[in-house]
Amino acid sequence: MTNSPDERGAELRDLFYETSQELLQALNEEALKLEKRPGDEEIVRVIRRTVHTLKGDSAACGLRELSELAHEFEDALSLEGTATQAAVAEIAFAAADVFAEMIAAYRGATKLPSTRSLRKRIEELTSAPAAKKSRRKKKTTADKTATDWTEHEKLAMSQAQANGQDVFHVVVKIDPHCAMPIAGRQLVHNAIGGMGPIIAVRPDPKSPAASKHVEFVLASVQTVEQIAAKCRIPTIAEDITVDLMLAANPISAKTEMEGTAAEAEAGKVIPPAEAIAVQPSTPLAEPASPQAALENILRVEAGRIDNVLNLVGELIIGKSMLQQALSEFSKRYPKELLRGKFADAIAFQARVLNDLQRSVMKIRMVPVEQLFRRFPRMVRDVSRQCGREVELALSGQETDLDKGILDAIAEPLTHLVRNAVSHGIETAEQRRQAGKPAQGLVRLNAYHQGNQVVVEVSDDGRGIDAQKIRSKAIELGMVTAEEAARLTEAETLDFIFRPGFSTAEQVTEVSGRGVGMDVVQSVLHRLKATISVDTRPGQGTTFRLKLPLTLAIIKALLFWVEQRLYAIPLNAVVEISRTSESEVHQVDNYEVLQLRNQVLPLLRLGRSHLIEGDRKSGKLFVLVITVGERKYGLIVDALDGEEELVIKALDDQTFSTDLVSGASILGDGRVVLILNLPAVVEHFARSRPQEAGTASSGLLLSHTDRMRLALSATGGQA
Amino acid sequence: MEQFAPVKRSKDGQPVRYLIVDDSVFARKNLARMIETFGGQVAAEAGDGLTAISEFDRTHPDIVLMDITMPQMEGIEAAERIVQQHPEARIVMVSSVGYQENIVAALQRGARHFVQKPVKPEVLYEVIKYVLGEDGAVANAAGAGA
Repeated sequence: MTNSPDERGAELRDLFYETSQELLQALNEEALKLEKRPGDEEIVRVIRRTVHTLKGDSAACGLRELSELAHEFEDALSLEGTATQAAVAEIAFAAADVFAEMIAAYRGATKLPSTRSLRKRIEELTSAPAAKKSRRKKKTTADKTATDWTEHEKLAMSQAQANGQDVFHVVVKIDPHCAMPIAGRQLVHNAIGGMGPIIAVRPDPKSPAASKHVEFVLASVQTVEQIAAKCRIPTIAEDITVDLMLAANPISAKTEMEGTAAEAEAGKVIPPAEAIAVQPSTPLAEPASPQAALENILRVEAGRIDNVLNLVGELIIGKSMLQQALSEFSKRYPKELLRGKFADAIAFQARVLNDLQRSVMKIRMVPVEQLFRRFPRMVRDVSRQCGREVELALSGQETDLDKGILDAIAEPLTHLVRNAVSHGIETAEQRRQAGKPAQGLVRLNAYHQGNQVVVEVSDDGRGIDAQKIRSKAIELGMVTAEEAARLTEAETLDFIFRPGFSTAEQVTEVSGRGVGMDVVQSVLHRLKATISVDTRPGQGTTFRLKLPLTLAIIKALLFWVEQRLYAIPLNAVVEISRTSESEVHQVDNYEVLQLRNQVLPLLRLGRSHLIEGDRKSGKLFVLVITVGERKYGLIVDALDGEEELVIKALDDQTFSTDLVSGASILGDGRVVLILNLPAVVEHFARSRPQEAGTASSGLLLSHTDRMRLALSATGGQA
Repeated sequence: MEQFAPVKRSKDGQPVRYLIVDDSVFARKNLARMIETFGGQVAAEAGDGLTAISEFDRTHPDIVLMDITMPQMEGIEAAERIVQQHPEARIVMVSSVGYQENIVAALQRGARHFVQKPVKPEVLYEVIKYVLGEDGAVANAAGAGA
C-alpha cells in the first residue's frame, strides 16, 4: 500500500480496534473457563498470552495507557503464585471490561476511563502471596523476568556494564502510610539519581501502582549496601531490595545482600543477550494464528457494502420497470415476436439479479455466534448479582443474520437474557422445593424458519403468572375486569410489552417480568421483527424473536386502501380471503370475522366502510396476517400484487408515526408505504373500545398524507 | 511535648539553623517550637517566596522549611531560585496532601525532601536527620542518621 504514514497509522488502529475485540472476547471466555477450573495454570497462561498480545498490539498503535495497563496485568500473571489465586478470573473479567472501555474511549477520542480500581486489584494480586518481591523473582521462569525492559534500556544496561559500572535493580516499596507516595517516589528517584545514571524507572509515575513501589535500573560504582542506605528514606521507603543485575566485570560479581540472591542473579545476569533475542520473537510468534486467518479475510467498512446493496436495490427497481414496460408492450403488440426475446432477456437478468442480491446480502451476514458469545459472561455476572445458579446453553450459533439486525437486537436480547436470569429463574431454594435442579438453565437458540431467523431465549424458571398480569392490568386501568376475564392467555401476556406496564415497579417483583419490555418491543418493531412469549407456570418461559433476514429488501404484498397503495411484508401474510360486509360481526366493539373455524379480529385501515352503511353488502378482501403468534384480518379495498421492495428508510424527523416502517419506490415510480404491522395491531388494540378503529385509521391517514408530501419531495431527488 | 535528642551540626557542634517560610504566622510559630525541641535555632522567618530568597542570602541557614502556597512567590519557585544560587541548600517542602504534584515539581527542581501538613514532630525530626546526613550529628546518641 502506498499510503502516507498517517493513513497507515489510522489503518493500523482500525485493525487493532477490530482485532482487540477478539482478544477481549477470548479474555472473557478464558476467564469463564478459569472460574470453572480455578487455578488451572494452562488457562492462566492463555490469559497471559492474550493480554500480552493486547499489550504488544496497543503499544504498536501508540495507545500507551492501554499497553501499560495490559503490561501490569501480564506482569502480575507471570509471577509464580499468582496463577493459582482465585481472584485471577475476577480480575481478568474486570480487566476485559476496563480494556474494552479504554478501547472505546480511544476510538471515540473521549476521556479514558479510570483504571484505578483495576490497578489496585492487580497490585493486590502481586502482593497477596507471602513471598516478597525478591523471592518471587527467583522463582520466575527463565524466559520471563519480572519486569520487561525495553530494547533501549537493555542497550543502556550493557553499555553501562561496558563502561565499568555495575547495573543494579533497585526496588523500593513505598510506605503505605505515606500520604504523598508520588512525591516520595520522586524523593527516592532523587536519592538514587545521586549515585549514578538511572537507566529505567518502573512503573510509570501516573499509574496507581506507582504509589506502591518503584523500581529502578541504576548504573553505579557504589556497592549494594551504599545504594540501599541511600534509599532508606524515613517515612517513605518501607522495604528496599537492591540486586546486582549486571556486574561491571561479569566474573567478579560483587557481594550481594543475601548469598542466595547471587545465585538467583546468576541465572538472570546472563540472559540479557538471550532476553533480547527472545523478546522480539514472541510477539511475532503469538499473533501468527490470527494473522494467518486475516490473510483470507477482507475487512470492509460496512458502509461500502451498504452502498453495493443500495445499487442492487436500484437495479431491482430497474427490473420491475422493465417488466412493466414489457407487459405494456405485450398488450400493445400481442403478436410481436420480439416479446419472447425480451421476456427471456428479462428473466435472465432477473435471475442474475437475484443471485447478485443474495450474494451481497450474504456479505452482510454474520453468524449469531458473534452476538451469543457475549452472553456467558453476562449471565455469569447477573446470576451472581442476584444470587442465582444459572447455566447458559447456546445453540444454533452458526445461524447467519444480517449484521445490522444483529447489532440492533443485541440490546433487546441482553434485556431478555438478563430478565430470564434475574426474574425467570428462581432461587436455588425455591427450585429445590419445586423439585427442580438447583441450577437454572437459560437457553439461547437461533434457527432459520422460512425467510426469517428465529432467536429464542428460554428459561426453565417459574414462568409468568397470567393471572397476576391480568390483575395488574386491571389495576393499571388497561382493561376492565370483565374484559380481562375474557382475554386469552396470549392476549394477557401481551400486556408485558405495553409501555405503561413496565413502569409499575411492583409488577417486576410480583410477576417477575415486564421490565423494559416495551423497549424491547419498540426495537423489534423498528426491525420489522416480532416477539412472542410462551410460558408455562412452574416450567419456564420462552421469548421468541422472529427477525427478517435482511433490512434492505423485502418481499411484499401490495394493496390499496382508499386509493392509496400500501405494502406489508409477504411473510406476515398467511392467506388472502374474500368475504362480504355481512360476514363481519361486532363483538364488544371489535369487528371480527369467522373464517372457517377461527375468529379473526379485523383491522380496517380505511374509514369508508364503517361510515358508509350502504356498502354493507360490498365484497371485501381480507389479508390474514400473523403478528407475533396471533392472527388478524386486515381489510383492504383491492390487491395490487407481490413485489420485491427496496426499503428506503424514512427520515425520523419527518415522520412521527411508527405505523409505517418504511417506503419504497416501484418500477413505475409510484411510492408505496410499508406498514409496520406490530405497531398497527397495537394501535388498533389500544384505541379499540369506543370508536372501533375510526380514530386510529384517521390518525394513520393524517400521518400518511404528511408522509406522502415528504416522500414526493425525496422521491423527486432520487 | 516529646523530647528529641538534639541534632547539632557535625562540623562545629553548633545548633542547626533554620529558615522557616510560611505565610501563616501560626504555622511558622508551630514549626519554630518543634525546631527548638530538636535543639535547632531559627535563623530567620519569611512570609513569602521573595522574602525567603533574601533571608536565605542574608542568613545562609542549614535547612529551609518551605511552604508551597504563598503570596508574591510560591514555594516551588523560591526553592528553585535558591537552589540555583546555592546548590548546597537543603530545602524541605512543607505542604498538605493536595499539593503532591507541586511537591514532585519542587523535588525535581532541587528540593531535598518534604513533610506533610499537619507536620508531626517525629516525622520532621527523621526528615531533618536524613537531609542533614553526615552534616548532622545526634548528640548523646550513637552514630549519625543514615
